[in-house]
Amino acid sequence: MKEKEPPRLAVKFLHWFCPPELAEGIEGDLVEQFEGDLQQMNERAAKRKFFWNTLNFFRPAIILRNRFRFQLIENFMIGNYFKVALRNMKKRKLYSFINAFGLSVGIAFCVLIYLFIQDERSFDQFHGNKNLIYRMEARTFDTWKPKAEEPFSQHAWLQTALVNALKDDLAEVEYASRFNSNGDAVFKFDDKVFTEQISYVDPDFFKMFSFRLLKGNVNALFKKRSDMVITPAVAKKYFGDEDPVGKIVTVDVEGVKTFSIAGVIEAPPTNSSLDFRILVSQENRPYYENNLKQWGNFNTPTFVQLVPHTDFGKLNANLDKLITKYMGEKLEKWKKESAIPVPPGVKMLEYKYTQLPEMHLKKEITWHKVSDPKYSYILGSIAILILIIACINYVSLALTTSASRKTEVGIRKVVGAHRNQLIYQFGFESLLLAALAMVAAFGLVALFLPSFNEFTGKGIELHVKNLGPVMAASAAITLFVGIVAGSYPSLFLSNFRPAAVLKGNFTSKFQAGFVRPLVVVQFFLSASLIISSVIMYRQMNFIATKNLGYNQNQVLVVPTQRGWNKESNKAVAQFRNALMQEPEVQTVAGTSTSFNRGYSRYGYKIDGEQRSAYVYAVDPYYLQALEIQLTQGRNFSEQIPADSNAVIVNEALVKDMKWTDPLNAYLNWKEDTVGMGARVIGVVKDYNFTSLESNVEPLFLSMDKKDIGYLTNMMIKINSQDIPNLIEKIRGHWKQLYPDLPFDYTFLDEDVAKQYHAYEKWMSIMGLSTGFAIMISCLGLFGLAGINSVNRTKEIGIRKVMGAGLRSIFVLLNKQFVWLALIAFSLATPLSWYLMNNWWLKDFKYQVTIGWELFVGSMLCGLVVALLTVSYHAIKTALVNPADTLKYE
Amino acid sequence: MQKEYLGEFEELVLTMVGILQEEAYGNAIVSEIKERVGRVVNLSAVHVTLYRLEDKGYVKSGMGGATNARGGRRKRIFTVTNAGLAMLRARKEQQMQLWKLVPQLKMVGY
Repeated sequence: MKEKEPPRLAVKFLHWFCPPELAEGIEGDLVEQFEGDLQQMNERAAKRKFFWNTLNFFRPAIILRNRFRFQLIENFMIGNYFKVALRNMKKRKLYSFINAFGLSVGIAFCVLIYLFIQDERSFDQFHGNKNLIYRMEARTFDTWKPKAEEPFSQHAWLQTALVNALKDDLAEVEYASRFNSNGDAVFKFDDKVFTEQISYVDPDFFKMFSFRLLKGNVNALFKKRSDMVITPAVAKKYFGDEDPVGKIVTVDVEGVKTFSIAGVIEAPPTNSSLDFRILVSQENRPYYENNLKQWGNFNTPTFVQLVPHTDFGKLNANLDKLITKYMGEKLEKWKKESAIPVPPGVKMLEYKYTQLPEMHLKKEITWHKVSDPKYSYILGSIAILILIIACINYVSLALTTSASRKTEVGIRKVVGAHRNQLIYQFGFESLLLAALAMVAAFGLVALFLPSFNEFTGKGIELHVKNLGPVMAASAAITLFVGIVAGSYPSLFLSNFRPAAVLKGNFTSKFQAGFVRPLVVVQFFLSASLIISSVIMYRQMNFIATKNLGYNQNQVLVVPTQRGWNKESNKAVAQFRNALMQEPEVQTVAGTSTSFNRGYSRYGYKIDGEQRSAYVYAVDPYYLQALEIQLTQGRNFSEQIPADSNAVIVNEALVKDMKWTDPLNAYLNWKEDTVGMGARVIGVVKDYNFTSLESNVEPLFLSMDKKDIGYLTNMMIKINSQDIPNLIEKIRGHWKQLYPDLPFDYTFLDEDVAKQYHAYEKWMSIMGLSTGFAIMISCLGLFGLAGINSVNRTKEIGIRKVMGAGLRSIFVLLNKQFVWLALIAFSLATPLSWYLMNNWWLKDFKYQVTIGWELFVGSMLCGLVVALLTVSYHAIKTALVNPADTLKYE
Repeated sequence: MQKEYLGEFEELVLTMVGILQEEAYGNAIVSEIKERVGRVVNLSAVHVTLYRLEDKGYVKSGMGGATNARGGRRKRIFTVTNAGLAMLRARKEQQMQLWKLVPQLKMVGY
């Protein structure tokens, strides 16, 4: 008969959650059903059913039955609770303020972070076809840099001709459009000339994406090469209030072309991965015809819209077929020429795709608006830290002031209050406070939203549409805070024994055993934030002041606006001649790329080894303008014709090539089989031409126009007290020489600093939250110290009568806080050091050294702040005349 | 007094308690509903509804005698209270009145 018994575990489970008075009846019914089931099915199935049926009883109506039997009474006590709570708040304004302020800052932070995460997740969600649109990606085997752990690289750059192949060969693809964004172009209408960012797309773009077309016909757009679609802002800028459609403008990108405005399109919202101001068709992209034939060049992002219910297995197979058809031979050739052996079975090229709404958080694939979900987590944890600190304030203050509520608790119990009611009452109080804090938090959110947007680079707005979810979220946070912060104090307070508290010999010094660890936790969190922000600050300071090996100050960067051709080189020389009249202009140098404006990197094979180097096209004035030091050899000279095939290399390249006598070496980067390559005429000291996130890589400078490139940027070294005035003068020269071209300029030091923009942003966020965390925990400490000294008034009075000095009382009162702070700091130090090293500093190749003095420094700062906070009360208590405190004894 | 509201399932269970008289306990109600209405209901749902009806005062419960059939566990037997009976009656009348207001299909001959 043993096997006929219902499963023991389920029965045990039932007895665990079920109120005892119901258990027998329920169990009986279940067993009866089980017995019935045994007739119809095998034992295992019946047992399974028994489990399932038992689980069905695990619901609030059963579990909580008769647990809240005072529901009815409590409802009419609420008025009283409300009154008592308000009286208590009024009675102790300071503590109520500390609590409400801390909680409101915590809630406000959480709401802001909620908005941030919401915005991150809303990216590209507004497209009607969002689930059908995919961004194509190429996964290629990296024959270039052998990296053992990841031999593949995946990117969103694809061949120019791919879009046609996709549409012609694949039945799954309904629409496809390329999207090359933000190419610089000189835009001209009448006398208005500006540099604009132009995006190149295909006609399908307007059918795929849900950017609203305000003017123009979707089906006719981009039928003509000269069609252009602009956003209302651009229309306003050039045409004012006139109707832009039909206007003729000229655009100069590698040659002047005329366009006519064919439509106006709504500007993309800030949470769009695709951003644009001016759209023209892809055929206008420079070197388009040439690129169309080059299946080896990956230079355009491509989006496709698939037909609904696509079979992805088939799609993948078809994509592979497409690769074989168009690139089969080329891939075989690559495989053979690969510098590192290609393992058998490895696909040299594979097409992947990402659904449009997912591309924003897919950080592995570079996109100019891509975002790392890591930041959402970091922000979220900071918000939770602050919330915890605020909750701890509430708990520790409630516990230490509990003495004043003891009589109330005693009387209530004597009159007949059940413990549950008291729990309910104190819980209600904390909820009320949290609700008040929420109202204040809304004010804070509204106040801080603009600066939060600035910090995070977002455009979040509060409007009717998102107010509902925000309200709901903050109500949820408030409820959570009220329950978390209120639960322990209410359990603690409601536990008083009426006989003990009402007899009167109750000491006001509660055993605050639970308060101390709470204060340590609070200090620990603040200390971690302090140390992290100090490390961040030190690193940013290090970067800002580090000697980069060149002088980035007082250098203007001016693009020649001529495109990639000989005209640019001529313009540099011409403008240099013009500016030499200005005594404040020291040098005008030309270069192919300025720092933080992209780079070019060449790979070449020398002696069978794969090498690569960064390359800048320069002129003889370059080293002088940037004050780059030559350690060996000489600068370029215009007088020596052979210099056009000479190079100046940096020390890193010398090391990479293992040259002992670089000045007699040749760098055969063109892989010239006849000649020896470019002669090295000079070696420069290593300078940081890329950001400090990476080491100085091999680099060479060249004047080779044909193979390296043209001088598309000028670097104007100035030495002036009045920079704005000088810039006006330079602009005057420019307008005189090139009235048709816009004069754009940036400062080199600002360009360089922009490389660290993201880090700066995170540093300010950390700084801000650290500030708030310190403020909240100090307020809590202030309150705690106050209560502590009030509790010990009599003790101190007696000590003073016995002859204790001011100093010894001061030490007595502060000793414990210093200890707590020390413990917290010694816990926080290793943690924050570990976090910062592994999360933040590891992005930099050039790191500030974190020494012990940093930790000691932050610890001393923290201690001083804590001492300042607590000593107000300590001094006040120590100064009280003992006669006043002891006269009632 | 607040007007009490009886849900459809509550009404069904209450009626079954009335029908089953002394044999009204969880499992019996489940099988009775299956038999008479052809509806398969969950045991736990019936229990929860019975307790709710008890809270509202329409049924009262007590433990029955022990039997050998259910592993020796006693049954919790529910009986309809006067309030429950009044409620059922009121519901029935209400429904009949409403039913009369529904225009009936009539054969109209020429």
